Formats: sequence, structure tokens, C-alpha cells
Amino acid sequence: MNDDKAPAGKAGESACNVMNPGECTLAELPVGETGIVISMKPSLRGRKKFADVGIVPGTRLEMEAHAPFGGLLRIKVMESSLSIHRDDAANIIIRRQDPS
Amino acid sequence: MSRKYRIVLAGNPNCGKTTIFNCLTGARQHVGNYPGVTVESKTGEFMLGEDEIELIDIPGVYSLSSSSPEEGVAFEELTKPGIDLIMNVIDSSIPQRSLYLSTQLAELHIPMLIVFNMSDEAKRKGLKFNIPKLQSYFGCSIVQTVGSRGDGIDKLKTALAESLLHLEDHDVPKLTYGADVDDAIHELVQWIEPAMTDRVHHIPARFFAIKLLEKDTCVMRLPEFQNLDAIIDAQITHLYARHAITAETFMADCRYAMISGACRDAISFTQERRREISDKIDAVVTNQWVGLPLFFVIMYLMFWFTFTCAAPMTAGIEWMFAWIQGLIERFWSPDAQPVLRSLLIDGVIHGVGGVVVFLPNILFLFLAIAFLEDTGYMARAAFVMDGIMRKFDLQGKSFVPLVLGFGCNVPAIMATRSIESERDRRTTILVLPLMSCGARLPIYVLLVPAFFAVKYQAFIMFLIYAIGVAFAMVAARILKSTLFKGDGEVYLMELPPYRVPTAKSILLHMWDRGVMYLKKAGTIILGVSVLLFIANNFPEKKTFDADYGTQMLAVAADTSLTAAEQAAAVRHIENMRRAEAAEYTISGRVGKFLEPAFRPIGFDWRVTTAAIGALAAKEVFVSQLGILYAEGEGAGDDENEDQQEPLRQQLRRAYTPLQGFCMMLFCLLSIPCLATLAIIRKELNSWKWMFLEAAGLFALAYVTTLIVYQIGLLLKIGTNHLL
Repeated sequence: MNDDKAPAGKAGESACNVMNPGECTLAELPVGETGIVISMKPSLRGRKKFADVGIVPGTRLEMEAHAPFGGLLRIKVMESSLSIHRDDAANIIIRRQDPS
Repeated sequence: MSRKYRIVLAGNPNCGKTTIFNCLTGARQHVGNYPGVTVESKTGEFMLGEDEIELIDIPGVYSLSSSSPEEGVAFEELTKPGIDLIMNVIDSSIPQRSLYLSTQLAELHIPMLIVFNMSDEAKRKGLKFNIPKLQSYFGCSIVQTVGSRGDGIDKLKTALAESLLHLEDHDVPKLTYGADVDDAIHELVQWIEPAMTDRVHHIPARFFAIKLLEKDTCVMRLPEFQNLDAIIDAQITHLYARHAITAETFMADCRYAMISGACRDAISFTQERRREISDKIDAVVTNQWVGLPLFFVIMYLMFWFTFTCAAPMTAGIEWMFAWIQGLIERFWSPDAQPVLRSLLIDGVIHGVGGVVVFLPNILFLFLAIAFLEDTGYMARAAFVMDGIMRKFDLQGKSFVPLVLGFGCNVPAIMATRSIESERDRRTTILVLPLMSCGARLPIYVLLVPAFFAVKYQAFIMFLIYAIGVAFAMVAARILKSTLFKGDGEVYLMELPPYRVPTAKSILLHMWDRGVMYLKKAGTIILGVSVLLFIANNFPEKKTFDADYGTQMLAVAADTSLTAAEQAAAVRHIENMRRAEAAEYTISGRVGKFLEPAFRPIGFDWRVTTAAIGALAAKEVFVSQLGILYAEGEGAGDDENEDQQEPLRQQLRRAYTPLQGFCMMLFCLLSIPCLATLAIIRKELNSWKWMFLEAAGLFALAYVTTLIVYQIGLLLKIGTNHLL
């Protein structure tokens, strides 16, 4: 999974620097890396739905895979795998953790 | 003393609720289906000692609120009065996420029993639970089970019996969400209690206080609390100013904080967590590059399994119906009650038999689907297909039902239940009849060789299927940008870990669908077959325009003809007699009456009646043409080349290739069979939509065929008769 070079993940590297150092949106987290949820942008739709499955500030997430042709991301939250859409993930701000 | 209890099974999606349900009620117990719009609750009964238990299996939800249709159903079911106990099933391998719902259920203050299911997976992950501590935390008993193996079910029954003895003096959980939140809840309760009416009196005021604090739409809408807006807003503003967080997620945050506190105390890891096998499989299956090709291979295998492996069983059923027919023909002489005999053979046996023949395909298809579903692959299929489907404004979850549509539209439409977004589900259902189902294949098998040279046949066949798919995709885009416009619902789907499915659950699923299909054959199809038989045979023509009997005698007496020529001439006369009789029947009259409307698309009265007959089941188009041309008796029953050849000759004489193509086009696009319409009505829960769908598809078919036929005539493409 780690050698799965995701083009979007690479593009995300530069966008990360716009926010606080070490912070980026969930959509930009490269496959195989983990991060901690910091906050949700006000534009996030269905925030209650995400909160109900455990995507609340302080939760640790791992980017597991990108679906073919774009749209979906697969993330690990509290021991289970969820697939969510990239557009929604772009509204969730996380702090990247060291790959170690 | 025997008593009756009502118990509700609640839990997250995919936590093994239904497995527990089946373990408790037993597979042979009556399982009633109460269909809803998107989801259904199941009810089962079982005896616990002397007591009678009614167990209600509600849709799986993550939270007790109303942010999706199934949450609405679950919320309503759980807040109804008269529930004696809630059995909360949780996937104990993911305790944090699963207990989130438990914290909400606990606030209902209904006696509860928590089932820590999948405890084998939890053990493998190295999770250890301090059960007594968790029990005092939630104020209820906890039982560990492995539903798939039936482990712990006896313990569960014992605990259940024990809980039922203490319904009156059960513990109330003492959940705390932090001092300021508890204060806010306490404050709100003071206002809510006087406002409570009898209707909601069985639910604690505290529950409503929490729901109002998180601005739950279902509770906010209750008339009882309409005057409390100002007080609620004051509390909310007060709380959120301190925590800098929004209303919708505030309580979620509190609950997760509470659970992680509880988990720290009561749940420990005994060993380092191993990377699960499931993740390793997924590294391949949901891989960005390998995922899609693998998916297509699996789909191909599914079709191969459905159609190739079922073939011997299909042949068996055909043989069985032929045997029954033979039996009747042998013991029921044609002279005694000829009409009833003919009704039984031509109407009932041919009609119902023609449909029951597909039973093996249905069973095998659902066996394959159940297998893919139970292993957890279906969730991955939706994941890898999502990108492509979005280009057509559909989503990953629409894909599997659409593919199933090539087999039979009816189960395919039932399979759309897995699509949570109501807009996407409705769109998928409405475009599904455009996927050319197996029942339309006999039509193409008859017509393509009749009108097209061998080298074009495969292409025309492919073209027909491709036209259906193209129309479905375009229709989906149009529907999504007009009738079902709006932001799609938030896409959120859990990819469950791979599990080895149990044979029992797969076979049960297959059995359910099989029984459903047979019921359809025994009711709708049987009724329509009888009606069509009557329409095709009555009123009977007694006096004919020409004296066919004399003509035949003349042919037989004509010694200048060879035996073969005589037989051909006799058959020709016989055909003319039958055609005249057919014209006189209800079908013939209706066809004649409608002919002017269908002439612009190249149909004569015969094709028109065949198209009407196809409403019952698409294959009827073939058998109806067969009857009207009085050739290839039983042409609809098997695709034997030689048997159908005389009918093809007749068709070549009567129609041009352009007309033949138009017939196929019309059959592909037009109103699906009645069974499909019935299932559309059931799944969309609306007569209106069913009629709109039928009218829409008819208009689509008519206009498309009209354009093709008229342009064809204009450009003189395929307008010459082959014979």
C-alpha cells in the first residue's frame, strides 16, 4: 500500500504549507501516513455524521488508500476502515504525525 | 406464569445483530418483513423458558438521531412505548466506536443488555475487557459472544432471563459528560419536565435535554418543546462559548471523551496489535491500479457462475414442466373440456413454467451476491467503482445493482437498498429497467438471426445492450440534474474487515429470494398468463370468411402436387385460418385498434399485441409472435435453432430488417415487465412513481423507435424485404 504513489497525495505536499506548519487537510494526507484531527472547516457538510463515527478533534486517522479515478479515500478511524469523499476530507484539518 | 416481552435489537451497521437475531429466534422461526422506504425492521419470536419474547431487529445505526433515513426508523422504533428491554449488540473488536451508540441508548433508561459480539476478533486484536467495571458504568449486564459460531448464546439467554426478572428495579446508568454539560442538562430538565405530555412520558426528560442540546431535528420538531427555544439557545450559547465548538458535534465530542475515559479504565491491550490479514488483502483489492481489473474479473466470474453453473438445473426444470404437460396430455383427452385443458397447458404451464425456469439463475445469482456481501467484498466493489460512476452522476453503490440488472431487473432493484442516498437510490431504480435483462434475450435470439447476416449478428447484439447502457447513463444524468437535483448526501461507508461467511447465512439469503421469486410466479405471472390466454383465444371465431376445409380437401385431392408440396400448401391454408381466428380475438382486436398508433414505428397489429403481451414477461413477445404466425409452437420455451427457423422465415416475409431492429429497440427501452413495475412500486413506495416510470419509458421507447424508423425509411437503410 505504501508504494502506491498517489498523485493527489504528492500535490498535497505543497498545499500543506499554507496552514500552520505540520497541518493540512485530510484530503492531502499521503497514503500510509497518520494524522490527528484538529478541527473541521465550517463548510463541512454532514458534520454530525462524521462526528458520530468518531471523526472529532483529537482522533487519530490513517490514510489507507485512494480509490481509482479520484473521488473516494479510505481512512482508518478507531480501528475501522471508512470510505469518505475527497471533497469532504478537504474540510477536515489534521496535524500530520511522523511516519515513524 | 408465562409473560410476553418486547425486546429491541440495536447496534451499529455490520456488528452482527442479525446473526444474533437468527441465533436467538432460530432459522425456522417466522421472520416477518416490514418494508420501509429504504430499510426494514424484522420481527421474530422465541420462547425463553415459559416466556414469549418478541425480538425486533432494527436497521443498524451509528447514532440515535435523525441524520439518515435508517436513523429515523431506528429512532422511531426505540422511542415507541412498550419496549421491555434493549439488547445492544456491539462489535467488541472496535469498542470505542461501538459504545458510542450505547451511551445514547443508556440515556433512554430502558433496561438494557449489552452483547459484546465478535469477541474472538477482539481477542485476536489483543483487547481485554474489565467486564464488571463496564457493567457498573452502563448499569447493565454484558455478555460476550461470537455470533457466527453461536458461542455465548446460552450465556446470553441466561443473562436475558435474569435481566427480565429485574425489569422493575433495574440500574440506571450514571453517565457524566463533564461538569458544565451536566449542569446544562440538569437546567434544561427543569424546563422540559413540565412540558412533557403523556405521549412522550415513557422517555426520560434527560434524554430530550441531551437531544435538544445537540439540536437533533427529530426532537426539536416535537410540539412539546416548541416554547423552549430561547432557553435551549441560552444553554447552547453558554456551553459553546466556553468550548469553541459547534452544536452538532459538541455532544459527539463529549461522548467520545467519556468513552475513551471508560476505555482507559476498563479496556486494555495485552499484546501488540497485529496488522490484520484483512488489511493485507485490501492492499491489493482496493489498490488504485489493481482494484478495478480485479473487480471486473470477479464480476465476470459471478456471471459465469450464475448462467453456466445454473444451466443443468434450468434444463431439469424445463424437463419437469414438459413431463407435467405430457402427463396432462396423456390423461386428459382433448375432447373433454377442451378449453380448460388448453388453459391449463398453454396458459398456466407455459406461462408459469416460462418464468420458473429462471429460478436456478436467481438462486445462483443471489448465492454469489450473498457470498460477496458476507465476505465484505461488496463494500470494496463500491469503493473501486465510485470514480467511474460519478462521471454519470451516480455513485459506487449504484454499480452492483446495475450489473445485476443484466440478469433480472427484479432482484437488481431490490439490491439498491444498500444505497443510502435516497436521491441516488431512486435514480438507480428508475434507470435500471434500461439494463437489458435475461428475459429480453430470447427476443434478440429470435430476431437477430432473422434479419441480419451472420457477420453482423454479434455486433447488433452488442449494440442493443450498449444502447441500453448508454440510455441508462444519460437518463441518470438527466434525472440527477432535474428531478433529483441537489447536493448528494454525505458519502460515508464502512469497509468491514473480511470475514469468512457462514454457509447458513448465505443459504438463508438465497432461500429468502427464491421463495419471493416463486411467490411472484404463483401470483402475478399466473394471473397474467390466464388473462393473456383468454385474450389470445376469445371470442372464438366460428364462421370463417373463406372455406379453409374445402381448400384443404382440394389440395389433398390435387394429384399433380408432390407429397411435400401438398403438406406445405396445407400448412399455408392452416396458417391463414389461424391468422383469421387470431384477428378475431381480444388480442387481435386490441392490436388492430392500436395499429394506427404503432404504424409510424413500423409495427403491425401482430407486433403490437406481442408488445402488449411482453408486459407480462418479456419472453411473451416471442411466444406471442409464434402463436400469431402459428409457427414454431412453443417457440418461447427453447431457443432451438431449427424450431424457430420457420417463424424466422415468416418474419422475413412480413417485415424488413429495419422493422426487426425497431422491434428489438422498442422491447429494450419500453415498459419493463409487470414484476419489475411491481417491485418499483414497492421499493419507491409510490404508485405515482411507478406510473410515471412506465409512462416515461414508453415515451422514450416510442420516440426513439419513431426517430430510428423514420430516419431509416428516409435513408432507405434496411427497408428491403429479405424474402
